[in-house]
Amino acid sequence: MDNLNLGRHISGQFNEDIEAIINHVMQMGGMIEQQLTDALTAVNENDAELVKKVIATDRTINQYEVDIDDECTRIIAKRQPAAGDLRLIMSISKSVADLERIGDDAEKIAKVALESFSSKQQDLLLNLDHLGRLVLSMLQTTLDAFARMDFDAALGIHKTDEKIDRAYEALLRQLMTYMMEDPRSIPQIMTVIWSARALERIGDRCQNICENIIYYVKGKIARHLSADELNNL
Amino acid sequence: MISVTPKPLASQQVIRDLNSLTPEQVVLTIQNLNLYYSEKQALHDISMLIPKGQVTAFIGPSGCGKSTLLRCINRMNDLVDHCKIDGEILLHNENIYGKHVDVSMLRRKVGMVFQRPNPFPKSIYENVVYGLRLVGVKNRRVLDEAAETALKSAALWNEVKDRLHESALGLSGGQQQRLVIARAIAIEPEVLLLDEPTSALDPISTLTIEELINDLKKQFTVVIVTHNMQQAARVSDQTAFMYMGELIEYSDTNTLFTTPTKKKTEDYITGRYG
Repeated sequence: MDNLNLGRHISGQFNEDIEAIINHVMQMGGMIEQQLTDALTAVNENDAELVKKVIATDRTINQYEVDIDDECTRIIAKRQPAAGDLRLIMSISKSVADLERIGDDAEKIAKVALESFSSKQQDLLLNLDHLGRLVLSMLQTTLDAFARMDFDAALGIHKTDEKIDRAYEALLRQLMTYMMEDPRSIPQIMTVIWSARALERIGDRCQNICENIIYYVKGKIARHLSADELNNL
Repeated sequence: MISVTPKPLASQQVIRDLNSLTPEQVVLTIQNLNLYYSEKQALHDISMLIPKGQVTAFIGPSGCGKSTLLRCINRMNDLVDHCKIDGEILLHNENIYGKHVDVSMLRRKVGMVFQRPNPFPKSIYENVVYGLRLVGVKNRRVLDEAAETALKSAALWNEVKDRLHESALGLSGGQQQRLVIARAIAIEPEVLLLDEPTSALDPISTLTIEELINDLKKQFTVVIVTHNMQQAARVSDQTAFMYMGELIEYSDTNTLFTTPTKKKTEDYITGRYG
């Protein structure tokens, strides 16, 4: 983390504790990125084995969230961190909650692969994949910005969520047209809607993580701010 | 449904701008204060406003000048040889370093409590009324009442009310420190200076004193020097961080401990000093 001046704490043990937490968060982030990639692949290739893998890995991710959060609590109790250290711990504690939910969303998306789609409905999945790629790229850049605690990157990513919202709305309109044309396909289309919804939520959670980065760097709360207010931080 | 209006959270309270307090809100004004011990300059151009009815903490590493600054406020540095001061400290609008200031009158208005409890080898009661006797109060009823009020304010009354005439030296460290605070507030000063008041006490006595400080600010303005940063964070309304005789940052405690603006402050409060 470029913006973190670790290494200079008088207490070496405190440094090690913080570094260990950061490494765990990074590892968790890597796993989640893989989960979303796997989920999208599973849907594309209708791969039931990969779905099983995603479901199993989600358990590990849940455990990571519990462990990291627990460690944050322990550091607060034992070290009484202040200023930047405190903001780092708070950002991490909140971000792992969002990461864990992204994991749950990836699992939901993967489960779409268990539905059977007729060949006619395959292009539904294609559109879902387009949204999926957008979200995956947002997740990757978010994790990258978090690793570097990069304020400018966080601010930029925060704005890309709008693009995802637009893609999501376009997909919904398309799915509604399908439903009107062929009511018998409604059960399958509902499944696609749920996973599109899950993808859109991942975008929101990435936005939350960016807000946590902004909080760490600037000490300002970026939630509920308009675009103009964000630019003035 | 029961409707309760909760106490506002610290983050919902308006942050005071310490540079734009109205004259009624200010008790002490320190202006361009420089202090030299012989040739060595110990305080560099300190300017700050200390608001009324609040707790102001001075923090910083050893030798940063925080105790020196505190001692300037009731002219304890007068007792130090080769100590030279320029600049002003105004108590309300009067310069305490003015020519016609009676130092003992000043110290009635600005009381002080030190690191180690220093009760006189007298009874508990005599310790508390000592200041009043000194200014000539003889009426027994007045003294009794003052002793009770002061001991109650210092959260010591319940523990000592049955043994007021026993020696103060028989009290525990924490009780002695509260006794000394009672002695200081018995003469009803405006400002109470506390120089590391809990550094010689155990954690529970420390918490009792911290709780007491919170009550005291209803009647007095409290200025505290502490080595314990968490203590400053817990008890004070505003905190001044000093380093090598300079005032580095002075702001609202909630802000200083979460988002300090100066790098030196950040390094110190996160344990990166050195």
